[in-house]
Amino acid sequence: MIELIDLRKEYDNLVAVQDLNLTIPQGEIFGLIGPNGAGKTTTIRMACGLLLPTLGKAVVDRVDVAQEPERALRSIGYLSDFFAVYEDLKVWEYLDYFAHAYKVAESDIPARVTEVITQVSLEVKRDALIRGLSRGMKQRLGIARAIIHRPKVLLLDEPASGLDPKARLQLRNLLRSLCDQGTTILISSHILTELEGFCTSIGIMEKGRMVRSGRIEEVTAAEHLARDMRISWVGDFTAAVQGKLVGHAYVANVQLGADSGTFQFAGSEAEMAALLAELIGAGVRVKAFAEVKQTVEDLYMKLSKHEVM
Amino acid sequence: MLKFWRNAEFVRHVRAELRPARAVTVAVVALFVCGLIWLSCWSFVQQDLENARNGFQRYGGEQWMARVAMLEKTAFHQTWLLFFQWVFAIQGVMVTLWSLFACAQSVSGERDRKTWDFQRATSLTSSELLVGKLIGEPILTYFLVLCLLPFTVVGGLVGGISFGGLVSAYLLMLVGSLFLGVCGLFLSTLLESGSRGITLLVGLAMYFLTAGSMGMANSGFPGVAAFSPLSGIIGLYSPNEPVFRRLPTLFGQPVPWLLLSVLLWVTFGSWIVLMLVRNLKRDYEEIRPLSRWQAVGCAAFLNFVLYAMVNPGRFGEAGSHELMSLMIGVNGLILFVIGLATLTPQERLRVWWRKRATGAGAMFSEDGLPWPWLALSAITAYALIVWGTLAWNKALPFEMKSLERAAVQLLVVLVFITRDVLFLQWCKLTHMSRPVFKGLMYLSLYYAAAVVLTVLFGRGSETNAMRVLSLLTPIGAANPEAEGFRFPASLYMGIALQAGAIAAIVAAIGGRMNRRLLAVASGD
Repeated sequence: MIELIDLRKEYDNLVAVQDLNLTIPQGEIFGLIGPNGAGKTTTIRMACGLLLPTLGKAVVDRVDVAQEPERALRSIGYLSDFFAVYEDLKVWEYLDYFAHAYKVAESDIPARVTEVITQVSLEVKRDALIRGLSRGMKQRLGIARAIIHRPKVLLLDEPASGLDPKARLQLRNLLRSLCDQGTTILISSHILTELEGFCTSIGIMEKGRMVRSGRIEEVTAAEHLARDMRISWVGDFTAAVQGKLVGHAYVANVQLGADSGTFQFAGSEAEMAALLAELIGAGVRVKAFAEVKQTVEDLYMKLSKHEVM
Repeated sequence: MLKFWRNAEFVRHVRAELRPARAVTVAVVALFVCGLIWLSCWSFVQQDLENARNGFQRYGGEQWMARVAMLEKTAFHQTWLLFFQWVFAIQGVMVTLWSLFACAQSVSGERDRKTWDFQRATSLTSSELLVGKLIGEPILTYFLVLCLLPFTVVGGLVGGISFGGLVSAYLLMLVGSLFLGVCGLFLSTLLESGSRGITLLVGLAMYFLTAGSMGMANSGFPGVAAFSPLSGIIGLYSPNEPVFRRLPTLFGQPVPWLLLSVLLWVTFGSWIVLMLVRNLKRDYEEIRPLSRWQAVGCAAFLNFVLYAMVNPGRFGEAGSHELMSLMIGVNGLILFVIGLATLTPQERLRVWWRKRATGAGAMFSEDGLPWPWLALSAITAYALIVWGTLAWNKALPFEMKSLERAAVQLLVVLVFITRDVLFLQWCKLTHMSRPVFKGLMYLSLYYAAAVVLTVLFGRGSETNAMRVLSLLTPIGAANPEAEGFRFPASLYMGIALQAGAIAAIVAAIGGRMNRRLLAVASGD
């Protein structure tokens, strides 16, 4: 659904995005992660035609964005970290304007405006002037604008910055439901918890380059990353556990307490099961033995060099 | 696109600007002011009549009696005519000024409010945005004019102006305001932010330049005066104005002022519309008013229009000689503006430079250095000078040597303009903020220094002064004593010196282009 082919952007004497190749299939929520200045915003702006790439191209829904921008933009909803709106319009007028601007069929517009207003919970403000809305409401209106034309692709550049926790939750739920309907979402953020449990794929950008990208499990597996494990037991078995873990071929960073501890395990699932069997065989009364699920933040911290331009 | 009332951008402006309460207030205030103006006009005419009656009572006589009789007979018509003239003038000034300033803050204002990206990210085409903004931004004034229209039409008709005259006058007002609106929109795309000070200054300059162009009515190009809306409507106010009773000419054929005004605004406006359609949805850094072929076309168009408007009667004995020198000067200005309009952004130039290194980048490229295009524009200009001179041969006879002289003059102008434009191109590759503006400042300093050097070296010797001028500035080409190719040697030395300067600037540009990029360098 989104294809970035050898995409490159140069500013003055630096390369903001360096020969980026990325394919995001339909229905995916792709999290673009990286520090400020990594090239995330530039990538998203090129993907929606706001910036012309120096070289390469962005293709959205099989349309080259630079060649046929108006056609491509019908499939793209764009949301940035600022939610500037026309203060002198009413809420419904604002959405009606963008529905027309995105060339939504004239007969569908009134119903669509009502639908979107309901989706972002602004029903009571439908006829209110935008200048009278609170900041959070304006932000929700911005989200409504981005989805008014039922875009197949949503490009979201730090969309939750400045949103209160409730609005963040609403945004997350809205994006999930859009994803369920088949919308492809590319979302950038440097606040990693924002993307937690939400993205199906991630890409880590640094210095204009994609350091890693793919589905979260694939990225983890491809890197043969050690898994964080947690173990707890009943009774005085600290020494026994230590004996089994320390020196084990796949185990590292063992940290044990009186009745629990953590360690890193770099082996396969079968080898993990064998380790558990060994512990039980050694008489340890294991209460819990589980992998600590990696957060996006953990992944980022492991894969990134935290470099910026 | 022609159904502008369904244009999303236009509808947005109508909704925001013409809310019922505001529209009613504007209409009521307009009608109130209209009433006051009518009373003032009536009072003025009655005062005139009263004065005439007093004069008759005091002095008596045929003349006073005839004046009283005439004023009594025409008082009613005069009141309405005066009313029409005032209200029409107010409408005209308001609609043109407002159109210019509202449009001049349109795009830059959206950039300031950060709403511009959201408009650019919609499926609205540049043309749709252009139409919507052009008619939508000054919608309140258009509404005001519409409110007053019935009264001015009645006033004009009762005042003795023909219906055709009224239609023409309003047509002129409409086309004029659209032209100024397009100019304003273009200015607005060039301003990164809506700095009101700069907008006001440039807008006022544009407005007064347009209005003041009527001063050209007595020049060698009287048609240029038609840029001023005043030339087209002056007949409504002062039918006997001698300058404007003489019609301007196009290719020697007289054309009504009003028609020429509309013609000029439409053709020049079309060029600006072309620039807007090309650039309106582009990112600020990627704005390039014209493609290079369009720039050459624009240079040819400007030359063509000027030749079409020549009034041979205004040139002296050395008619063709004078005309050619004037056209060379004008072409210097045209070439410089075209050079400015086609400067290549650093990013594009770098890509072209790399291609060129591999043999793939053509010399005449959209993204290459501007000098081949300046040369092409100059050749086109020279071809038009030859054509124009031949076309006006009957009225302004010429000798072959005039053409030879013009060739040298144009070469000198081209070399200096190329040097200056390449210098500005180099400035664009540096880290200077506002590189073009600063580059222009440096060029001004250079020419000021050249004048100082001329004064220093030329003390007591005009020949020495001319030599310095010829070496450092293009002024040497204006030497009135030169014939054919026979110019002083210092002029040719000046050309050689500037050619060397051009080579040095191109080398400096190459140095900048060959620098390694930051991220690539550190990342590799």
